[in-house]
Amino acid sequence: MAKKKIEPHPMENILRMDRIPHIWCPACGIGTAVTSFASALEKLKVNLDEVCVVSGIGCTGRVAGYTKVDSFHTTHGRAIAYATGVKLGNPKMKVIVFSGDGDIIAIGGNHFMHAARRNIDITVICVNNFIYAMTGGQVAPTTPLTAYATTSPFGNIEPPYNIPRLAEACGAVYVARWTALHVRRLTNSIVEAIQKPGFSVVEVISPCAQYYSRINRLGDGLDMMRFYHDNAVIKHNEPTENLDIDYQKQIIMGKFIDREKPTYIERYNEWLSESKPKKK
Amino acid sequence: MAFGIEAEKEVIMKANKKDVLTGSYYIDGDVAAAYGAIAAGCKFVGGYPITPSTEAFEAFVHRAPYVGGITIQMEDELGSIASILGAVWSGKKAMTITSGPGFSLMMENIGLGAMLETPFVLLNVQRSGPSTGLPTQAGQADMMQSRWGANGDYEIIAISPDSPQEMFDYTIKAFNLSEKYRCPVMIMADECVGHMTEKVVVPEADKINIEPRRFYKGPKEKYLPFKPDKDLVPPMAKAGDGYKLHISGLTHDEKGYPTFSQTPDTKRLVDKIRLNADKIIELNEDEIDDADVVVVSYGITSRVAIRGIEQARAKGLKVGNLRLVTVWPFPEKRIAELSKKVKAFVVPEINYGQIVYEVERCAHGNANVVLVPHGGGFVHNPEDIFKAIKYAAQEKKKVEGIIEHKTELYRLIHEKNS
Amino acid sequence: MKIHPLFSTFANAVKKAEIESDKICLVSDFLYQPKISEYLGFDLFHVTRGRSIPFATGMKLGNPKLKVVVFVGDLITLGGNHFMHASRRNMDIVVICVNNFLYPKINGKKSPTIKSAFSPYSVFERPVNIPHVARSSRAVYVARWTALHKKELTESMTRALGKSGFSVIEVISPGNCYFAGIPASPKENELIEFYHKNSEIKNDEDTKNVEITAEKKIIVGKFFEKKRPTYIDSYNERHSKVIGDKFKIYE
Repeated sequence: MAKKKIEPHPMENILRMDRIPHIWCPACGIGTAVTSFASALEKLKVNLDEVCVVSGIGCTGRVAGYTKVDSFHTTHGRAIAYATGVKLGNPKMKVIVFSGDGDIIAIGGNHFMHAARRNIDITVICVNNFIYAMTGGQVAPTTPLTAYATTSPFGNIEPPYNIPRLAEACGAVYVARWTALHVRRLTNSIVEAIQKPGFSVVEVISPCAQYYSRINRLGDGLDMMRFYHDNAVIKHNEPTENLDIDYQKQIIMGKFIDREKPTYIERYNEWLSESKPKKK
Repeated sequence: MAFGIEAEKEVIMKANKKDVLTGSYYIDGDVAAAYGAIAAGCKFVGGYPITPSTEAFEAFVHRAPYVGGITIQMEDELGSIASILGAVWSGKKAMTITSGPGFSLMMENIGLGAMLETPFVLLNVQRSGPSTGLPTQAGQADMMQSRWGANGDYEIIAISPDSPQEMFDYTIKAFNLSEKYRCPVMIMADECVGHMTEKVVVPEADKINIEPRRFYKGPKEKYLPFKPDKDLVPPMAKAGDGYKLHISGLTHDEKGYPTFSQTPDTKRLVDKIRLNADKIIELNEDEIDDADVVVVSYGITSRVAIRGIEQARAKGLKVGNLRLVTVWPFPEKRIAELSKKVKAFVVPEINYGQIVYEVERCAHGNANVVLVPHGGGFVHNPEDIFKAIKYAAQEKKKVEGIIEHKTELYRLIHEKNS
Repeated sequence: MKIHPLFSTFANAVKKAEIESDKICLVSDFLYQPKISEYLGFDLFHVTRGRSIPFATGMKLGNPKLKVVVFVGDLITLGGNHFMHASRRNMDIVVICVNNFLYPKINGKKSPTIKSAFSPYSVFERPVNIPHVARSSRAVYVARWTALHKKELTESMTRALGKSGFSVIEVISPGNCYFAGIPASPKENELIEFYHKNSEIKNDEDTKNVEITAEKKIIVGKFFEKKRPTYIDSYNERHSKVIGDKFKIYE
């Protein structure tokens, strides 16, 4: 029998096929986010040599290991700081920070805030699964009130962060939120975010079947997808203070912020040209 | 079994019955440490999840509301250690739990803890590094960092347990030592011990000695927060009691006010541990008296070493076993004393040489020092330790410096690379 | 010794709020005046740079009866994350953030709140809008005053001290001489005059609009006030609900 020719994977040039299968659990949303990111890169038709993915630690932190561009798997929480360095070191690079809610908002919250303030030209794709999944289901700063986690065994008592609001307050120029179900819109958002000069944030609400759903008895990944289907509504330009996510309640998605601001490098260049000593 | 240190004071305090879950359990080392902390009267844990120490934090969170405690999962390790320092100064016994990179993040505030003479316990379930390394696998490469990690001169106490039962016992001991000497005490466990599930016996509350915090009892106006008693340790006060505390991380005088030069108090941070070292140090010795070779080990490696030692003894070699229960302060005197009697020390550890430098320093060139290194990830093969003992027993000439014993794994990697 | 006007204002506020001075703990990461604790009769803790808020968090959780006040310089640089998260959890602490646009102790290095006109060092960095970040992180009380508005500042501090929850008061203070284009070592009244000319009271202004820029006046006022259960309240409520009688209220 003649050997069947194996068809190449359509995203072979963007994903590291030698590292597949990946480590993510069945029904996890991170894979979807990566696929969206890969198709966004295809759509953008960018030179892949000029794309760089920086990840922190956690489930989403492993994304850097599967993208076939220059990818850095850095320390916990420091992905944005690292990306800032990459961008300033070589302004031609398109730097994408791909990491989780715990990594970006909890331990890396300060870097998030300051990169947004400085308007560093990077794109942050923040996969929010409401929990620390890599360490086994601890409470995260995004865990909804009363939800259970291993370090909130009696129900979470800390009000969660509303990532778009934080991003807006700190000065991000592009803020959007989608769930792992809304792949096409998510892809478009990532395309826009990468094209946008300045600090852009895309939040991806993702199911975590292994920890968040299991601990809270919300069913498997498919049930979560159904939940998104029934409860996620699109409201573009919604004021970000309305975007809180309550436990098993409505999730508002859409593109919330799209504004123009000079980036750090632009400001720097402007300052350089202004402050050049005048020749006598 | 050692439950707490011997009380030197008239009043011996026992553990609170409510805090002690008397009974026999089949639990892992992390959970045992959390049970030990609660038994010791710890009421506050500020933590941040990091493999392989998370289970300890989780276990504490589950029990805390029942014993009048409170916990908080901070935003990062910097926050979690700063929060426990605050909790100690407002009167609670507190602990933080971490591993690997989290331990590195905590360094700055360990320095603050030492400077403010704050009693707290830090459980570091060591994993392999550097950086993220191997999060789910064992390492012992934080030993020097625990001693020298923060800037400046200070001393800490570090204990290295080797079983879940010891995680329980020595967590209590750690709290007692920290209260006694008002210094950070670190429990340098490793992933193997943390994740090892064994029988743990929790004794009755009245069998557990607790060192109470040494609160100042004199007139408030005369209180000097850093004026030491005879044993070089100052009594403590807590915030909110009207002492008008002035507690600063700057170099300070007895009153806590900043000074612009070194004061005797800075020296005291070092002296209170060094001069009390004999009281603090705990060693387990086995057949040391007529030994030719002494194996010096700590943590999980000390359990692996037993097998190697048994093999060597079966071949008729005279091998002694010296297990460091307290690694810091280092038992300098004992090693120096032994170095005059024995041919060689064999030091197995899951790193490429840390405690071995201390052993070499204290041996003063009297005995050979053989390092059995091991990259992080797994524990030693006892065969390697046996071979190192055999080599050490046969070697007749004095070798300067440390002799590195090439383990099987080392050879495998080395040959592959070359 | 002359007490810094900020501390005397604070002492007045404590008196007005009728809080026992023994229960007040000041935590700061920069030491302003060493003997302040003795003069005012508060406990003072001077901790590592940027970590005053987590330290205060621990103090408050260790003994909920304490009234913990964090005095910081531009807290946003190192401690920004702690600020955000303590605010989200609604830790019951008062943060008095002394913003003088610069780190006063490190001669003229830029801090994240400066704007172009104020310093030649930081033309290209945007300042943090502290009230807005505080509000977005759900602080329960947000106000900003300059050192000139002593009466209002005292009132604000009194209010914040009486309130339970994360309260933030930004104080724009003449800490030193490195801003506003005023030559080195200005007299105090020069600075006061500067504030007088350049500030505008707008209570309940949306915090989005209170960014400090070179072009417009500094907007001061009480911007926001709300009631929300604190971390310890939520802890007690949730645990007594789930655990029942076995849980003893933590206080």
